[in-house]
Amino acid sequence: MDKLISILTQLGSGFLTSIALFFLTLIFSIPLGLLVAKGRMSKNIVISSLVRFYISVMRGTPLMLQLLLVYFGPYYLFNINLRNLKLGPIDYRNIAAVIGFSLNYAAYFGEIFRSGIQSMSKGQYEAATVLGFSKTQTYFRIILPQVVKRVLPAVTNEIITLVKDTSLAQAISVIEMFTVAKQISAAQASVIPLFVAGVFYYVFNGLVEIVMNRIEKKMNYYQ
Amino acid sequence: MSVLEMKNIHKSFGSLEVLKGIDLTVEKGEVVAVIGPSGGGKSTLLRCATTLETIDKGEIIIGGDILVTTKDDKAVYCDKKMLQEVRSKFGLVFQGFNLFPHFSVRRNITEALIHVHKKSKEDADQICDQLLTKMGMLDKADSYPCNLSGGQQQRVGIARALATNPDIIFFDEPTSALDPELTAGILKVIRDLAEEKMTMVIVTHEMSFARDVADRIIFMDGGVIVEQGHAKDIINNPKSERTKSFLAGY
Repeated sequence: MDKLISILTQLGSGFLTSIALFFLTLIFSIPLGLLVAKGRMSKNIVISSLVRFYISVMRGTPLMLQLLLVYFGPYYLFNINLRNLKLGPIDYRNIAAVIGFSLNYAAYFGEIFRSGIQSMSKGQYEAATVLGFSKTQTYFRIILPQVVKRVLPAVTNEIITLVKDTSLAQAISVIEMFTVAKQISAAQASVIPLFVAGVFYYVFNGLVEIVMNRIEKKMNYYQ
Repeated sequence: MSVLEMKNIHKSFGSLEVLKGIDLTVEKGEVVAVIGPSGGGKSTLLRCATTLETIDKGEIIIGGDILVTTKDDKAVYCDKKMLQEVRSKFGLVFQGFNLFPHFSVRRNITEALIHVHKKSKEDADQICDQLLTKMGMLDKADSYPCNLSGGQQQRVGIARALATNPDIIFFDEPTSALDPELTAGILKVIRDLAEEKMTMVIVTHEMSFARDVADRIIFMDGGVIVEQGHAKDIINNPKSERTKSFLAGY
């Protein structure tokens, strides 16, 4: 029993890191995803090609590799040493993890948002136009609220994947939950810490599902 | 005084010339029905007048405001501010309603009043209540479009177009998505508006309605106005062979 409590407390601090990584990634990647979607649909061929290339790289290479590149890249490519950079208790490896995850997830979110935006009928834009709404008003009042409802199931999928993907941050030695679980597991020569970590992820994703279901239900007031 | 002036309108989609120099003037209080075969340019004409398509050449003046003129054989549109001004002068009722599904009936009608025309919520609500009463739909103010019949949705569409008190209302086949019973209801609403001397341009396939309600009928085919005149004359005694053969189908 004592052993379990010790496992839980040790995993707890790692779990906080995982959660922080999770929320920060969402906070940055969702707005960035909207920009990606907008850029991908841009009539300017330079912008849309660049964004298309960005998406293909982010989707076509391993996230772990991207994390390594964000962390080591500045030093090896540009000779900029950020590894001693510290923002309070947060050092560059944590920042690199958030940047890497956000850039990667923005590409996926971008494509999801694009699918939602392009599924909107032309009539919605036309009705808004003749009523005198500006482009910004049309986007934020008419289009985006409907897009949110349409993309919610796909976004939920992505969020659930993100919960599990946070474990990849171990590639750049971020002390997130999975890293801790592996360490305890090795020290105690036991699989129980790994099992407990699994339960953590599962429960957390259960919560994600409950929250997302609630939001979906809330948006069900219209078809 | 003319509410709508369209002069020498030319419009092509790629190499396909859809409007070949159309002239159309609508006087205040006049009801004009535009009829003709599909692909004849009726809807395009309406979309050009309502700023949803840009013309290649010609001139459009709505409610005294110049939307577009022609310089050196090219259409020159007004600036953004004027464009907003022009858009407040007309209303458009769509074939497919195009209501905002995530807004209640009330918000569909008041959203533009509040956020475009900067009216207070109270004023907007009052306008909305009046219009819904007129449409016999006051009890549906808090419903969402998905819970309404097609006929009810189109009434909301008409109320939304009327809300900003426009000088002219355009109807783009307002009953084509409705069954005959619901169609009758919508036609009655338009008839009532005609009696109130609302200026209207209606693209329609309802010939008897056009004859009874419109002051003037325009028959369009192949991107030109083939024939126009007093509604009853066009329907009962068409002069051109093309109009005759078209109307024979009804």
